[in-house]
Amino acid sequence: MKKEKSGLRKNLAFLVLSSVLLLSACSGGNEGSEGNKESTPPQSTQNTGTETDGGEKQEEPYKISIMMQSFDTNLPNADSPVIKKLEEYTNTDVDIQFVPNSSYPDKVNITLASGQLPSIMVVDKTPSFISAARAGAFWELGPYLKDYPNLSMANDIVLNNSSIDGKNYGIYRERVLGRMGVTLNKVWMDNLGLQPPKTIDEFYNVLKAFKEQDPDQDGKDDTYGVVITKYAGPWDIMQVWFGAPNGWGDDGSGNLVPTHMTPEYREALKFFRKLYEEGLVNEDFAVMDSAVWNDPFVNGEAGVFVDVADNARRLNSPMQEKEPRDTSYTNVFQAPVGPKGHRDMPTTGYAGMLAISKSAVKTEEELKKVLAFIDKLGDVEMQMLLGYGLEGTHYDMVDGYIVPKENLDPGVLQQYNGLNQMLTFIGPDTPTLEQTEINNMIAEVQAANEKIVVANPAQPLVSEVYAQKGQQLDNIIADARIQYIVGQIDDAGLDAAVKLWRETGGDDYIEEINRLYKESQK
Amino acid sequence: MNTALQSEIEVSARQGIPKRRRWLSKLKKDKWLYILLVPGLLYFLVFKYLPMWGVLIAFQNYQPFLGFWNSEWVGFEHFRNFFANPDFFRLLRNTLILAIYDLVFFFPAPIILALLLNEVRLAYFKRIVQTLVYVPHFVSMVIVASMTYVFLTTSGGIINELVAAVTGQSINFLADTDWFRPMIILQMMWKDSGWGTIIFLAALASVDMEQYEAAVVDGASRFQRLIYITIPAISSTIVILLILRLGSFLDNGFEQIFLMTNSLNRSVADVFDTYVYFVGITQGAFSYSTAIGLFKSVVGILLIYGSNRLAKRFGQEGIF
Repeated sequence: MKKEKSGLRKNLAFLVLSSVLLLSACSGGNEGSEGNKESTPPQSTQNTGTETDGGEKQEEPYKISIMMQSFDTNLPNADSPVIKKLEEYTNTDVDIQFVPNSSYPDKVNITLASGQLPSIMVVDKTPSFISAARAGAFWELGPYLKDYPNLSMANDIVLNNSSIDGKNYGIYRERVLGRMGVTLNKVWMDNLGLQPPKTIDEFYNVLKAFKEQDPDQDGKDDTYGVVITKYAGPWDIMQVWFGAPNGWGDDGSGNLVPTHMTPEYREALKFFRKLYEEGLVNEDFAVMDSAVWNDPFVNGEAGVFVDVADNARRLNSPMQEKEPRDTSYTNVFQAPVGPKGHRDMPTTGYAGMLAISKSAVKTEEELKKVLAFIDKLGDVEMQMLLGYGLEGTHYDMVDGYIVPKENLDPGVLQQYNGLNQMLTFIGPDTPTLEQTEINNMIAEVQAANEKIVVANPAQPLVSEVYAQKGQQLDNIIADARIQYIVGQIDDAGLDAAVKLWRETGGDDYIEEINRLYKESQK
Repeated sequence: MNTALQSEIEVSARQGIPKRRRWLSKLKKDKWLYILLVPGLLYFLVFKYLPMWGVLIAFQNYQPFLGFWNSEWVGFEHFRNFFANPDFFRLLRNTLILAIYDLVFFFPAPIILALLLNEVRLAYFKRIVQTLVYVPHFVSMVIVASMTYVFLTTSGGIINELVAAVTGQSINFLADTDWFRPMIILQMMWKDSGWGTIIFLAALASVDMEQYEAAVVDGASRFQRLIYITIPAISSTIVILLILRLGSFLDNGFEQIFLMTNSLNRSVADVFDTYVYFVGITQGAFSYSTAIGLFKSVVGILLIYGSNRLAKRFGQEGIF
């Protein structure tokens, strides 16, 4: 009996102790919020202390935490040789936090709300980032750029596009402006003897042929034209072909109107509806997850892919893996010519920017270290390292061109996979990929696109109304477009949606954009 | 436990010890019990009560970088905006219809399943079935959603292939507004009916076997035994669970709805939970979404309180 009691006592003591521990753990956790240790910024105050007395050579690696998107689950860990080399080159201690691209915007908003930011964060010009930047959560970088060899080469137009109230709170990640292209299944085209589509009618005929003429010659009716998912990008691109403005357009009197209030937009939607009715697009596009977007094309169910031109390469490689052949499986072309001429959707010239937070990078001295780090990422060595891995391990140099090694072990591929997301591509030109058929085609399309892309005049403008109601407004139009395409609503329904959009805040939005636009023109 | 405490109170009351000393001596006597209570109390204090002051941002124009103390106070503005918003009635309708479907179709499912299991004679068969019906509970909602997609998609989904073979045309379950609610309820039934039986089976196990024996002697049929013995025996459990369920009446399960929503069914799929997410997380309107969440909680409290009163009026025990 006595024995039992002392055992009980021990257990109780353990319980009490553990509850005390629990409490202390909680109070600590409260300050860190989120409970996400990775997002906790480094304690960098100690570094500044050591930095003042140490010379340049002995300087301790500066701790930098980075949050960025990942498009893959096979990602490098902290002891990857590629990251080690990056740290050595830049004299930093890098802590990368990868966030899956699909949930990236949410994660950014939650991180912004928590106030505990990493040193560098890849952000878009979203309402929450804008309000955070205005509230002083990020360093304004504009005045510093000229002091750095690579960053001083940044393009003024793109800097302007990525600015907020005329200030740059981030260093943009450069992208080709005319990046879009129509990727087609080359085998199918050859089988049916089709020519590259030059006009929208020809584009339609290709889709029709892919659906009805058995392009894979297996005697079964198991193919269709273009594959589209929940992600509405292809619709956005294709409506520009029809003459609808990219986001906002001049209505002829110098005023800007949103694209969905133009007649060209309606014409484009009629065409989309026809595609859907005739089964030229996958029936389940509105519910299909974009993570499996490539599958129908790679598996030979769909023959057309409307997205960035470089997807031709990404679609070709898995098809080559399945059944290697000498020539490419894919062909890529410029957008077809529409009723209003040859037009295509551009990118904004950048994809997100690297913003430096004030909560993790407290002093100007530290800021300069982070800027120096970003600047060095533009060096040829770093662009090559983060983009293609280690020479000899991940790629070979042949005649001055990069030739990625094929069939890399996932464990080896993992060492650099995804790290290119931190590159700004602001810096000297680097060697390029080998000149394969497909790479040449992509480069040609993208170079030719420069002449036909339609800019969005409202791109640099920052709207208050949009910051508050943007998501709601966008949903109204995006949903109505999908409902119209699948035939759930007719023209009257579309008109009703536009009316709802205007009442929900769209009219204020139009007015504000026009006011900002006129101010910026002065 | 309860009666022991009560008798103790009576004893000490009779002994005429001053109230304060009685309290102290009791504390001393049961100190280990109270210490055992500490972790639980701390848990509620730290994780449930401490964060609660956060709801105050519903009355502010909260900006994360200004912090709580520097954000502007706006009173009931967010509530006014919410009730005046054209979205409000659509959200309320969708939320209520789903909640009612949930109550009418999903809530009885585990009860019926438990009653059926209770009638199974073969012990090992019963045990196997019981285990099997628990399994779906452990499948993540994300997996359930993607399974639903794989089965129901119009391009090659098994169920749609079957439907097409029988009726000649496929049904776009995933995008059809009419199918959204049944789909959600069926997913819930598949996932959680089995798990829900646990508590009812426990209640059923405590039913006095002699009552059944007596009923058999009196010539009651199996169905009569079910109606007159089994169901009355577990009715208090049913009522308590019903009251608890009503407390979260307006919770439609964010994850599930969010995963099953798309452009084509959004008009019926938008509920308070997903709206709070869209407005709060994707648009960064923290105060506004907190106000909506607070509104939901107040409705929840009223429902619990009301249903508890109602249960007591009808002679059931209630939860407080």
